[in-house]
Amino acid sequence: MRLNEDPVAFEAFYRRHIDAVMRFVVRRVSDPHLAADLTADVFLAVLDSAHTYRPGRGSEVAWLYGIARNVVSAQRRRAARDARLAGRVAGRRMMDDDDLGRMEERIDAERRMREALRAMADLPDGERAVLELVAIDQLTVTQAAEALGIRQVTARVRLHRARRALQGVVSPTVRQMEGSA
Amino acid sequence: MSNFEERLLGALKQDMAARGPAGRETAVTRARRGPDRRLLGLAAGVTGVAAAATVVFTLIGGAGSPAFAVDERPDGSVEVRIDEFRDPGELEAALAGKGITAVVDYLPQGQICREPRGERGGTERQGEPMQAEITGGGGITFRIGKGHVGAGETLVLAVSFDREHSDQAPFAMSLGIVRGAVAPCEAVPMPEPTGVRPTGPEPTGPVTHERSGGGGDDGPGLDSGG
Repeated sequence: MRLNEDPVAFEAFYRRHIDAVMRFVVRRVSDPHLAADLTADVFLAVLDSAHTYRPGRGSEVAWLYGIARNVVSAQRRRAARDARLAGRVAGRRMMDDDDLGRMEERIDAERRMREALRAMADLPDGERAVLELVAIDQLTVTQAAEALGIRQVTARVRLHRARRALQGVVSPTVRQMEGSA
Repeated sequence: MSNFEERLLGALKQDMAARGPAGRETAVTRARRGPDRRLLGLAAGVTGVAAAATVVFTLIGGAGSPAFAVDERPDGSVEVRIDEFRDPGELEAALAGKGITAVVDYLPQGQICREPRGERGGTERQGEPMQAEITGGGGITFRIGKGHVGAGETLVLAVSFDREHSDQAPFAMSLGIVRGAVAPCEAVPMPEPTGVRPTGPEPTGPVTHERSGGGGDDGPGLDSGG
């Protein structure tokens, strides 16, 4: 079974994860229209990457978050060069006023997470990536490692370094989140 | 579920139906036929992809065998042999064990990571190209010279191969050095290979000799003047 060949399987996958994907996105962008576009882009990327999806092999969540990370990072790079979005499905056009209001509520709810992410901005990429997935997106270290395509032991080392580097630099909020991760 | 989510699901299903079951993996069949064993000179930037940190090659080869190996040589260089394109994280970890920061991505046939992935590194070592070659088993090997990937630099490898036939050699690969942050791989269709050709010696195939000055042996004649 491939997600991009079986509409029933894809719909089930979509319904399982749409909420988590939207939360992932609004932790990283604060524009509701862009959030809608990126949500669409993540699921388009899921269809494009369906051949790498192995039910039962590893975590579905880790696979999805790996894709979501790439989509959001790609958007940032595009934004740095030009403001064009290349998605085949324009998510923003699917939002009516009610949806817009709900998306803004989601964005407000994740404000502290976005601040925490900014506090991690100076960490080396590899360390920040692990800390992001664990502290912000609540993945386990195992899932974060899988999402990033690195070994668990590597993820643990990076997480440890990231936490140590952040000590004394960031707000108590982040420290508390790290402690609970 | 709100209306946005339902509408998006509908649009995604339409997109799915429009693309058909085969997806886009089968759409690209442009590999150049060539010998199983081909030497490629891999030096970042030498093919005229001026702004890119990596060089893209089109490859084709034979049958495969499992895993990869990372070996340190007596001269301090590190030899990498990849026989099967899986577990990129393991390869990254193995290279990290040799002091080389690496980012490895394995992509479906016909796709390659969008360039550039970051600031081009290794520029001061352009005179020491990395050599990569296809192994008889359909994998690849390359050697990283001692200190070739410097502090704060990352070896960036992306390999495009047919996941349905993982025993075959890669369709394409790119190998380069990036200084500083490396952007995650955003898979995009491979560009047409026009103008992006292997720079190393090719054991077989046509050789093109170029001639400057519009050709024609019309240099000054010998005129004795009588």
